[in-house]
Amino acid sequence: MNPEASMPAAANVLPEALRAPALTVGKVTPGSLDDQVLRFPALAPPRKWYIALACTSLLAALGMALIGYTFYMGIGVWGNNSPVFWGFGIINFVFWVGIGHAGTLISAILFIFRKRWRNAIARFAEAMTIFAVMCAGIFPLIHVGRPWVSFWLFPYPNQRGLWVNFRSPLVWDVFAVSTYFSVSLMFWYLGLLPDLASLRDRTDSRIRKPIYTLLSLGWRGSAGHWQHFEKAYLLLAGLATGLVLSVHSVVSFDFATSIVPGWHMTIFPPYFVVGAIFAGFAMVLMVLIVVREAMDLKNLITDFHLEVMCKVILGMSCLMGYAYAVEAFTAWYSMNPVLHHTFLNYVTGTYGWAGWLTMACNVLLPQLLWFRKCRRSYPWMILVAVAVTIGMWFERFVIIVVSLHQDYLPSAWHVFKPTLVDYGILLGSFGIFFSLVLLFARVLPVIATTELKADLPGSQPAHGGSHE
Amino acid sequence: MSETFAVLGLFDDADALMAAVPKVRAARLGRLEAYTPYPVHGLDQALGLRRSPLGGMVMIMGVLGALTALLFQYWTSAVDYPLVTGGKAATSWQAFVPIMFEVMVLFATFTAGLGMLLLLNRLPFFGHPVLGSKAIRGITRDRFVLSVEAEGSFDPAAAQAALEAAGALEIEHLPAPAHGPLFTADAIQRSLLGIAGACLVSGLMMYGAVKLFPVLPPMSHMEDQPRLDPQKPSAFFKDGRGMQMPVAGTVARGCLPPDISSPEDAARLANPLPLDAAVLARGRTEYRIHCAQCHGALGDGVPTLTAAYGAKPANLLTPAIRAYPDGTIYGTIVLGKNAMPSYAADLPEDARWAVVHYVRALQRAQNAKAEDLP
Repeated sequence: MNPEASMPAAANVLPEALRAPALTVGKVTPGSLDDQVLRFPALAPPRKWYIALACTSLLAALGMALIGYTFYMGIGVWGNNSPVFWGFGIINFVFWVGIGHAGTLISAILFIFRKRWRNAIARFAEAMTIFAVMCAGIFPLIHVGRPWVSFWLFPYPNQRGLWVNFRSPLVWDVFAVSTYFSVSLMFWYLGLLPDLASLRDRTDSRIRKPIYTLLSLGWRGSAGHWQHFEKAYLLLAGLATGLVLSVHSVVSFDFATSIVPGWHMTIFPPYFVVGAIFAGFAMVLMVLIVVREAMDLKNLITDFHLEVMCKVILGMSCLMGYAYAVEAFTAWYSMNPVLHHTFLNYVTGTYGWAGWLTMACNVLLPQLLWFRKCRRSYPWMILVAVAVTIGMWFERFVIIVVSLHQDYLPSAWHVFKPTLVDYGILLGSFGIFFSLVLLFARVLPVIATTELKADLPGSQPAHGGSHE
Repeated sequence: MSETFAVLGLFDDADALMAAVPKVRAARLGRLEAYTPYPVHGLDQALGLRRSPLGGMVMIMGVLGALTALLFQYWTSAVDYPLVTGGKAATSWQAFVPIMFEVMVLFATFTAGLGMLLLLNRLPFFGHPVLGSKAIRGITRDRFVLSVEAEGSFDPAAAQAALEAAGALEIEHLPAPAHGPLFTADAIQRSLLGIAGACLVSGLMMYGAVKLFPVLPPMSHMEDQPRLDPQKPSAFFKDGRGMQMPVAGTVARGCLPPDISSPEDAARLANPLPLDAAVLARGRTEYRIHCAQCHGALGDGVPTLTAAYGAKPANLLTPAIRAYPDGTIYGTIVLGKNAMPSYAADLPEDARWAVVHYVRALQRAQNAKAEDLP
């Protein structure tokens, strides 16, 4: 069917600038989409992929070895000690959970708002969510010190007759993060199901065919199935929308419900959620740039997609600036000398450089994205995305370390010095994350082909018109 | 060819499929089903499918999840293990809201996802004939299939004619599967045997692993310190002892051996301590620790241990003992008497004399006269 013919006549009258931009470049049909996106599992990966995987898995192995060393020696090999009991373990946890927010935001909230550009990037972003939450989950478990009894975090009947303290935000956190992971996994897998069926029916390989057959659960694309599937997807999107806003709010309660100066603030939940979306989008942007170049997907993940992502990052950056300003204002307006001291510490104390780095990376540098030229150029986009990733890590560093190292009791003040093991485990988590991303890119469809097919011009029956 | 399961008609795009559905449906040849690569809007109405009941299911399970979380938290925190946190009442429910929300989402999500898969779509199911058709490669790619499934007295030729008349590009006759749609008894038996075998093998491996590798206590460094525990040997000293003996003739402070060898020697000694409240308090403490078990808290020889202890301890309140000089009581503490062992090792010099003062006080208190009143 000719795509132009199916377009409503009114669309042709609109001037070019007002028309919705094309979400694909060139001619894309359902068949060509499959051939382009689903060919990767059957292809031998290029040399570059092996080199990249070797590097990342080396880092992952280093991280694993150091985690093993931590288990063997005890938590004392880390830098955290009184009064900074929450060192890298919690910084990395908050950082990775934050990275994990972009995927669900893109797949759920933008789905509800019918932002059709999400289709091309949703699958990859969701996968990154899963991997980021997996990385995040490592840290509380190793931070509790005795990970083999970490099941004590869950309420279960036990011979000690004890229950967890449901009034503790740390318990809320256990529930929030594990729910988030389960829901993200469910959302991702269900969306993947029809694509897995496509993969199953494309291959005759003796290894891949049974695997994809099993994973696709016998999906056969029947109309009745699609009806329930669409309903389920919509419901999941609605549920995940509430969830994505709740998870980082609950993470922020870990801080906000305590009385540590600099943590006890009502702006924390929205401030954390915005930061999470900010960091997540930066990471997704960074990885998408590499993926669309390396896998030759420029016609599906277009310049327009990257530009929209940049705009989201810019908006979030402005919100971050606002949150920092509100924090500072709250500190000043509180007339609480301890709070004044903590906030001056953010920019002038031992770790003053970290505060300035945070603000430069999170508020100042992303302002470059006001310029169209920067939103269209890889070097600038990558610069901003890397800066945001660094800035958001240091933001958590500032919140946790600077607030804790000097609180109400001056005799307990102590400077926090991370050890090599701390740095190694942080690097290791990046290794784990990128190894999983690299593996995902080769064995599963990186683009939600089914969702994209359903939204291609002419893919839906003409009588109802398109549903933009 | 055996019986026909369905006749499939292949279409090129969604419009052709949508145009064909009402025509084939009107022919009433069998159950109609469509297979498409992506959800086609309006297809469910055209096929006359009922609305998905998933929304109601999710709603109910979501509410149930929230209620479960509320009741569970309330029961554990206010009833089964009431724990006061932050001075809040045990029944304060506000703190339960975050977990209520999370559990609600969890229940609702699993209902939406698994309810859709398992209950409504009856997946996973690998035995459907369409999965073995030639058309499936097109269905999951870019082709649209309308299928007339056998129902009652089914005429495959009529179905083929109807599909062709509706514009189907290709026709495929799908034979009914040789076995029932469910797993055959044979397959179930084999899979059960497989599961049992896997359990056996993994159990044996686990047993072997536990036997072969001793349990390694993780993070034992806090227990395992470079420190010498009491009474443990050490190669550091020549005699191999971790704790060294004191130099011969060493006397601990306050433990100078008394210069008495018989009660008669002791009788000559006088109590060197002043009779004041501090000394009496000390004497009472030491008496209660060392003496009261046998002589009784009042010194009347009626102690707590009588039943368990064969000998009959002395009643310290008798006139005979009241007539003893201080030194004799002191001598009894140091030398022991009858079944009573020496307490010289337990009581330092001044403690013994304090006990003597306290025994005197007990004797007086238990034989008090009216003129003792102030």
